[in-house]
Amino acid sequence: MIRDIGYLKILKTGPGTSVQDTGRIGYAQYGVPISGALDSKSFAWVNHLLKNKDSDAVLEICQPGLKLQFDSPTLICLAGAKAAIKLNGGIIASDGIYEIRESDQLEIGAFHLGSVLYLGIKNGFQSDKIMNSRSWYSGITSSQFAKKEDQIPYFTNQDYPSYTASKVKWDFNWAQKNVIEVFAGPEWKLLNKKSQELIESMQFTISELKNRMAVQLSELLPNTLPEMATAPVFPGTVQLTSGGKLIILMKDAQVTGGYPRILQFSEEGLSVLAQVPTRQMIKFQIKKSH
Amino acid sequence: MKPRFKQISPLICEFEWDSAASDELLRYQLTFKKNLQQDFDSEITELRLGFKTLAVILSNPLNSSVFEDWLNSINPEEISSSLPEKIWEIPVCYSLATGRDLSSLAKLKNINQEEVISLHTQPLYRIHFYGFLPGFMYLNGLKAELHTARKSIPDREVPVGSVAIGGSQTGIYPSSSPGGWHLIGQTPISLFDPKLPIPVFAAAGERIEFTPITIREFDQLARHPRKPELR
Repeated sequence: MIRDIGYLKILKTGPGTSVQDTGRIGYAQYGVPISGALDSKSFAWVNHLLKNKDSDAVLEICQPGLKLQFDSPTLICLAGAKAAIKLNGGIIASDGIYEIRESDQLEIGAFHLGSVLYLGIKNGFQSDKIMNSRSWYSGITSSQFAKKEDQIPYFTNQDYPSYTASKVKWDFNWAQKNVIEVFAGPEWKLLNKKSQELIESMQFTISELKNRMAVQLSELLPNTLPEMATAPVFPGTVQLTSGGKLIILMKDAQVTGGYPRILQFSEEGLSVLAQVPTRQMIKFQIKKSH
Repeated sequence: MKPRFKQISPLICEFEWDSAASDELLRYQLTFKKNLQQDFDSEITELRLGFKTLAVILSNPLNSSVFEDWLNSINPEEISSSLPEKIWEIPVCYSLATGRDLSSLAKLKNINQEEVISLHTQPLYRIHFYGFLPGFMYLNGLKAELHTARKSIPDREVPVGSVAIGGSQTGIYPSSSPGGWHLIGQTPISLFDPKLPIPVFAAAGERIEFTPITIREFDQLARHPRKPELR
């Protein structure tokens, strides 16, 4: 197979577009966040459809207003959020595989369902691999978020691609749940009965403070737990701050923390959470892990 | 010295000790970590330390009784390995130009700046683990006279290399970041290099010594960077 380099050029972008893969596994011991796709389910789906490797890098898009141009032929695949998407001005669906020709332009407009859209590409994006990952993170890779004029490399075979496999439907409904299964965190038992019942019965609002590091919930809880000796935290750890705020740590979160860790999302639950738009409500369903 | 075992999620579990952070506990944690790594090599993706915790990330779900049985089978008295002897020298320029809170912290503590510097440079600090930022060392050993509550409003930007005090801890910011600690100095030495296979210079259990340098030496080292050196 010929592997020439092609470039995806960013013509216009909102904040929050980045290259992501499965992240930096094994580097938390040096204080390095794991990073990687916020919604690992949709991420895995685009690579699966493209017959890529599981860890191939994709573009993660968290805001509308993105316009891209491909300088060489390839195949791309979309999954995750449902958005208004145009290929060379014509409306296309936000899921499935598309054949891309030289100079094709892709535009991502308003999001109708979900919050994070994944753009996979045949053989993955080829930006720098640092500590075994291409995931963008400030201070580790040269870029944190895509800017206008950025060029992201990919492999092209210079042939017009063709895609003939039968159309597989992406189910947009899986991420529309508002009840998310979580596990009791290591400090859950330190909460009094009343707080535990409150957390199990309340609905929580996703606040505007939502990014790749953390999602803050709007409702405050009475908190009597003191801060604790700094301990490991993970993507999906729910911290209860001394001010009574609930903070759900996401993929770029720091690897240790001093706030009580009251809940823990599963990877699947975290994928669902990543797709919940701000101002929407979620409810916890607490599961025993053993 | 036997920890408690907690299953957090199917792929995350944790051992937690009841005692406060100390050299003795760290020695125990590090041996415990090494043994876990040996005995569960193929099941463990990652092991991570906290001051009183050791988290385990599994590659596949494992019945929690496996770890509980393992825990019952080990003898906590059989801890022979000692902590590493390595001591790293970190040159620090303690001044208002390189540590903007030096005089306010001295005032808060009712001592003069020279006393702050002398109290901060006296101890050898033990590295317990990395966290907060890539390459940020959690150190134990700050003298009680320098314990200072964190700022109520964090600074928007702390310069790279800042040496700071927050609560009962002291640390060095390996990259610029927002932060709520009191800045008393700055090191010109780079502490984290993402291009290296091991991006940090020191390992958990080793020690750090802060050595005062002049602003002139600081500028020189900043122009001609070098790696941290062993004492």
